[in-house]
Amino acid sequence: MKSRTICRGMGFSLSHCFIISLLMVFIAACSGHPSLPSSFEKADKAPRIYPDYTDVTVPPNIAPLNFLVDSVDDVVAEVAADNYRQTFGGKANKVQFMQKDWQELLQKAKGTRIDITLYTKKDGRWLAYKPFSIHVAKEDIDPYVSFRQLPPTFVGYDELSIRQRNLTNFDETDIYNNRMISKGIEGQCINCHSYQNYRTDNMMFHTRMEHPGTMIVCDGKLSFVDTKVEGMISAAAYNSWHPSLPIIAFSTDHTMQSFHTRDVTKVEVMESASDLIIYDIKQNRVLPVLSDSAELELFPSWSPDGKWLYYCSAHYEYKGEYENTDELLNAYRSLQYNLYRIPFDAQGMTFGQPELIYDARQKNRSAVQPRVSQDGRYVLFAEGPWGLFHIWHPTAEVCILDLQTGRLLNTSPMNSHRAESYPSFSSNDRWILFESRRDDGNYTRLYLAYFDASARLHKAFEVPAEDPEQLRLLLRSQSRPELMKEPVRISPREFRDKMLSQPTKVKS
Amino acid sequence: MPPYAFLILYISTFLIVCWYFLYVRNADVLFFMQDRGWWNDTRLFFEQCIRVPGGLLSWAGAYLTQYFYYPALGCSILILVWLLTFALAKWSFRVPSHWSFLLFLPMAALLASDIQLGYWIYILRDIDYIFYHPLGLLAATLLSLPFWQFLPFGDKAKRRIALAWIPLVATLFYYPFGIYALLAAVLTALQAFTSVQERGEKVIPYSLSLLVLLLLSLGLAPLLETSGSTLLRSDQPWTYGFHRFELDDLRDYSLELPFLLALFLPLGFPFIRRIKSESLLLSQGTMAAATALTLLGLFSRDFTDYNFHAELRMQRAVEECRWADVLQESSKAKGPVTREMIMFRDIALMNRHELLSKRYIYNNESVQPVTVSDSIHIRIANQAGDLIYLNYGETIFAIRRAMERAMHYGFSHYTLRVLAKCAIVNGEKDNARKYLRLLSHSTFQKKWSQKMRPFAEDDKLLPQSEHFRLPLKLYNEGSELVGTDDSYVELTILKKWMYTLTHEPEAQQVALAAAMIMRDRQCFWSQVQQFYNINPSGLFPTHVQEAMLFEVYELGMKGVNLSFVKFDDRVVQRYNAFKARLEQYSSQGMNEQQIGSMLRPEFGDTYMWDYCVLRQVQTN
Repeated sequence: MKSRTICRGMGFSLSHCFIISLLMVFIAACSGHPSLPSSFEKADKAPRIYPDYTDVTVPPNIAPLNFLVDSVDDVVAEVAADNYRQTFGGKANKVQFMQKDWQELLQKAKGTRIDITLYTKKDGRWLAYKPFSIHVAKEDIDPYVSFRQLPPTFVGYDELSIRQRNLTNFDETDIYNNRMISKGIEGQCINCHSYQNYRTDNMMFHTRMEHPGTMIVCDGKLSFVDTKVEGMISAAAYNSWHPSLPIIAFSTDHTMQSFHTRDVTKVEVMESASDLIIYDIKQNRVLPVLSDSAELELFPSWSPDGKWLYYCSAHYEYKGEYENTDELLNAYRSLQYNLYRIPFDAQGMTFGQPELIYDARQKNRSAVQPRVSQDGRYVLFAEGPWGLFHIWHPTAEVCILDLQTGRLLNTSPMNSHRAESYPSFSSNDRWILFESRRDDGNYTRLYLAYFDASARLHKAFEVPAEDPEQLRLLLRSQSRPELMKEPVRISPREFRDKMLSQPTKVKS
Repeated sequence: MPPYAFLILYISTFLIVCWYFLYVRNADVLFFMQDRGWWNDTRLFFEQCIRVPGGLLSWAGAYLTQYFYYPALGCSILILVWLLTFALAKWSFRVPSHWSFLLFLPMAALLASDIQLGYWIYILRDIDYIFYHPLGLLAATLLSLPFWQFLPFGDKAKRRIALAWIPLVATLFYYPFGIYALLAAVLTALQAFTSVQERGEKVIPYSLSLLVLLLLSLGLAPLLETSGSTLLRSDQPWTYGFHRFELDDLRDYSLELPFLLALFLPLGFPFIRRIKSESLLLSQGTMAAATALTLLGLFSRDFTDYNFHAELRMQRAVEECRWADVLQESSKAKGPVTREMIMFRDIALMNRHELLSKRYIYNNESVQPVTVSDSIHIRIANQAGDLIYLNYGETIFAIRRAMERAMHYGFSHYTLRVLAKCAIVNGEKDNARKYLRLLSHSTFQKKWSQKMRPFAEDDKLLPQSEHFRLPLKLYNEGSELVGTDDSYVELTILKKWMYTLTHEPEAQQVALAAAMIMRDRQCFWSQVQQFYNINPSGLFPTHVQEAMLFEVYELGMKGVNLSFVKFDDRVVQRYNAFKARLEQYSSQGMNEQQIGSMLRPEFGDTYMWDYCVLRQVQTN
């Protein structure tokens, strides 16, 4: 039944599911544990595995950390934790754990570690590497993650879907897929999915181009709205749900992009104008929050107590005509964002004065995408040299600001020499989810890092795949990840049918 | 005539026609199809294919398409698939030999679909286009109970088996074979119907049962099977796999006709044996008429535009750094050529250091691509814009174009090769490894992948490679800008280079040529100065000398002292002769077009003629 659910989720037909279920039962019955080589040489080094799971810290409910070793004919992993000892692998160069074995292993190692000794075979000779460890934390991670999946393209969006993945296994399904409506090369840009308090009864995402609007699920009820009202720069864009009220903060903006001719950064994304608004779902109306024409306010994010709205803003005064894109193109390096917050009075639905909390510009950097920890103490954000789309900036990294001390924490264990962006906390604050291009510099993948109770960051690890090679071969980027406590319950078809209806105009 | 004689006649006719249209006339198209196709032996690729109805056909079709890497081999496999289908259909539907040529008609329609594409080839999403339908037809024939007459059961049991088979084949095989599973269900029903009719049994109750079951199966099986799919539009369950030539709101129904024929003509197969006439005159007359009509259809469908085929050959030659072949192809063109051909030729010339001395020897008179219908407007950006960008060292724009095309029309061997090369030039080694790894999983790209791997590992090898030497140089010498191309590949390249001042001789020839092509006087003289700075001998390439004389004496460029130039006497003589002839023809009252035609035989290979006659700089 489980395999049937999985393959339905993957888009297979009923008849396929039946056949696949039978095959899975057969495979499960046939699979065993390989035996250790009787003779081998010892290597004086740790193995190089892909993905790199050596000395990482993982949640006790994570899916099997399957991996591979390059350029070997066979591999066997001897795995030990507490009084548990077992071998895995024996299938060419991959080590793939059975879900049941893996869960047992994690339970044994919860709060301690798993030790793995790797034996590889090449040209008939076995080699044993120095053991490495996988540390298992005590705290679980939210079991679901949703993300956008598309080729690392710049303009087109034919092959675009928002997907949800169960992090405790490998189940993955579409929340919505562009192909359900699209024809030819045009289609819909679906983006900015978000949830209230990691729950999916209150969630949203936008559609652009064909059938534009915002899909909002409020208390489980689906609606489709057109958020653009007179005087607004654009329809609502980047967003954040208030933690307790039925309101969503949005930025509204004019986005533009330009391409480098030599820089491997490749593209610069800019906002020529942007403001902040809030949308009251029950009242179906939008209210302005910030609309200074010399400030480019973006990425609103509520504090978990709902009393502050965090955001980032770049100061830019046009020398010539307002929103002159040529002028902005020449000044793209000067668009550096600082982090701010503004107090919110829920009673009167009013905002106070903005407060600068992190001056990135002073450091000649640009800080965007703030997220506040549940205890309200830490602000997580992405920082790059300039601009707001840091996934295209190789020097971009994830940073954490301690609001108590005003200092940045050492996040180097989780960052890499390539771009990192779009970080967020888990609902228990112990895990940080972000996107990274560290694998190959071009295709974005999802990473997790442990943020322990003493505010120390641990080495990040790639969200595992059933077949580790898939992470290398997939010609799609997985971006804008959001953790969830539960899967989205509205079906893709319900979203599609709603999308084909006329969106409700919001009031100002 | 013995039955096998008919078969020999029909099969040999079919073979000759297929070979002629596929291999003789369209080998370059078929090679291109496999190059813009995509197959690899990974589980991920297989899973991606089989998620949609007809997925197995798609996967197998993509696999076999690879064999057009050797067009003769690919053609042989395709013809073999058709012959197998023919043999199976003849046996299954018990078609008399002298009428068996009718079985070839759906294949002929598919043959037409392979040669009709023209510029649609660049915007085709289907990596399996050529083999999908032939394999589908074979599958439908196989699944429509070809063994019907040999089943060791009584007639009653056979009829029940047919009734059971209709929903089964539509449901179980819908995902692997898509609409061809539905075709198999229809063929099974027709097979059963004709059998019952032939036995003179009670037709109506059984036929009604067949019809009801068939309609239910055709209606419900696709609906149920695709109920959870997020990869299909609501109108697609019954049509997915049927090729639609649509691009946004445009749809070219005429190109879909062959597929309609291939899908509906087989429905007549079960009835062929019921043609009672034994008259050879009738069958052979019909055969002659069908052959004539087929040939007429094929000739009218075959997209023979010279420039279209030349572009395909030139693109391949550019990719393989066969510069002499590119220039040879360019010389062969009789009429106006496309801008893409001009750009390919210029790439060859700049790699041979001849851009400034031979560019105007070749035809620069350009024309828009002749499309198969007016429903598409093709631009270089959709064609080989990425490859052209790469050769000009514009790797970022090349990646952008390659990615956009991959998004719209899917990844291909070609796209992955371009992306791999761009990543190598950019120094993005891990990214290059990713593409090379993917290519190494295909059947015929392994060698290329292995050949390129050392370049992904060691930058020092790049200057020694014909593939990377000039692109790397141009990448390094080109200025860093931020902008967009608005899909104008040629204009973007020329505009950037005419303003680029570089001391690198090879890059400078590109910059000077760009200024000449764009006819920007300021840029031209700046680049001439730069050329002189690099080459203080005062010896300028032929076309630059022509341009300088023309600028100063014809266009009246002031303040330029040409004493630093060592003019070639022949160039000066030709310039003077050109000027005299120009004045002569003008005084005779000829218009520009007439003057251009008169001057062409003598001066068509000069910068001056190009400037005067090809009045506007055309880019695409």
